[in-house]
Amino acid sequence: MTSILIKALKSIYISVPSQNAKFATSAICSNTLSITNKEWKYPPTFTKPREVWIENLDTIEEKKLGLFELHPTVYGATPRIDIIHRNVIWQRKYRWVSWAHTKTRAEVRGGGRKPWPQKGLGKARHGSIRSPLFRGGGVIHGPRAGNTHFFMLPFHLRLYGLTSTLSAKLAQDDLHVVKDLDIPSDNSEYLAELILSRNWGPSVLIVDDTDYAPRNITVATGNLPHVNLMPVYGLNVYSMLKHDTLILTQSAAEKIEDRILQLLHSDTRKQQAKFKLDQV
Amino acid sequence: MGSRQITEKALTMLRSLPRVSLGNIRDNPGYKKNPKRGRGQHGGDKHGAGNKGSGQRQNYMRLGYETGNNPFYLRMPHEHYYKGHHLRRQYPPFSLHELQLIIDKDRLDISKPIDIASIVKSGMYNFTPDEKHFGINLTDVGADCFAAKINIEVQWASEQVIAAIEKMGGVITTAYYDPHSLYLLRDPKKFFESGQSIPRRMIPPPDAIEYYTSAKSRGYLADPEEISKDRLRLAQKYGYELHVLEDDPNYEMLCERKDPRQIFYGLEPGWVINLKDQCILKPKDSELQRFFAS
Repeated sequence: MTSILIKALKSIYISVPSQNAKFATSAICSNTLSITNKEWKYPPTFTKPREVWIENLDTIEEKKLGLFELHPTVYGATPRIDIIHRNVIWQRKYRWVSWAHTKTRAEVRGGGRKPWPQKGLGKARHGSIRSPLFRGGGVIHGPRAGNTHFFMLPFHLRLYGLTSTLSAKLAQDDLHVVKDLDIPSDNSEYLAELILSRNWGPSVLIVDDTDYAPRNITVATGNLPHVNLMPVYGLNVYSMLKHDTLILTQSAAEKIEDRILQLLHSDTRKQQAKFKLDQV
Repeated sequence: MGSRQITEKALTMLRSLPRVSLGNIRDNPGYKKNPKRGRGQHGGDKHGAGNKGSGQRQNYMRLGYETGNNPFYLRMPHEHYYKGHHLRRQYPPFSLHELQLIIDKDRLDISKPIDIASIVKSGMYNFTPDEKHFGINLTDVGADCFAAKINIEVQWASEQVIAAIEKMGGVITTAYYDPHSLYLLRDPKKFFESGQSIPRRMIPPPDAIEYYTSAKSRGYLADPEEISKDRLRLAQKYGYELHVLEDDPNYEMLCERKDPRQIFYGLEPGWVINLKDQCILKPKDSELQRFFAS
């Protein structure tokens, strides 16, 4: 009895991703479609790999070049909005040095002389016209320039920030995987039209695994302030959220996955240790 | 992070929700404590610190101080067996149970000889040589369920532990390392990156010589003949059949020992390990060679 139940449960679960696969084989002529079975270094447990289309950039209309599997630990993690938020706060703060500055009563010009005698006038006693009680006087506990807001977010919050954001992007269809970044022309109108026709939202972040992107896409994105290129090591939560759509090349998607999985499965006591200023 | 169903549910919900962006994320409610001190009905009054005294002023007494009484910790006579405890060698314990755990979790390679460096690398054991920690005391917790054939080198071991390891056909050695060598073993990479040549291991201090030359404790300076005799004696005492090392397929591995002056397996004193160019620099000068030879 229990075995039947388990089988039934399994079939219910498996039916969700397999619909996608059926659709894939029926809609696209199969001879051009590349479907790769991945060799997992850390095989997904209890969850199926996420399947995504490999798309192209060399034509305006979308062509599906293949199916690609993404690891659920990286691309199907719990979308922890709070962790994403803390990552954004961290990224805003660690580089922020606030230069707001106020003068204390010692720094405000003048105010050395006792304004009026201590006694005999019937007025309140005062020793300086720059006392904080005076108009134009100094400020108590005001901001002082050069105040750094640097702090380090715990290592695993940074890691889970990335997985949460990637998973949220993928779940909301805002993450697309392309084969490579080759486009036929260096005209930015081509790219703008492509983005418009594929409904990728105005702002797009394109991530490749190398520092050197092909010339055409570099020139084409040069004029478009809302379309940006980034190498894979620059990937961060803030940029992903700032852009509507995230485009990963196939190799970039793999590299992100490998790196995060490796860090999740290795000894990270060094990275978890307290941040020291001389460690970098 | 969350069970599978919760994750799936959250991701499915996200599909029908607005795009997650910089404008619509927030932290969990109650994550941040208000740094301000409440006034009046908002937690004012004594602000949770109570009335009068060191509680209110938050100048707590030092630990053990009893407001003028003869404190508890001074009331007893001296305990002389603790005399000089801060100078004695300490061996932080590591149990056979934990050893079995890291072997089962594949965090330790038992096809090679195990020393303190490989145990520290597994992440389950740590020690600080500057707190007079002189290495591992392998304890007999979990001796009954220990089931691995290993060649292990620790710094201290009891008779039961030696028996538990030899019962499985393994080999155990107790070896002394001076604090400087222990620093190297704790983080070899850091040392290799410093570009210094590997030093010689120091000989044990006078009060440790006896332990490390005794066959009963399987000391690294003991006579091998005596050790093999004692292996048999222990097997008879604890009632197990002694494995014949010579017939073992892993004979080479089980017989591997460090030189008394050697710190790392396979690396000799005087060598410089260049991690960047992936090469080893060996001393050629005859005077240096004489110095580093044991």
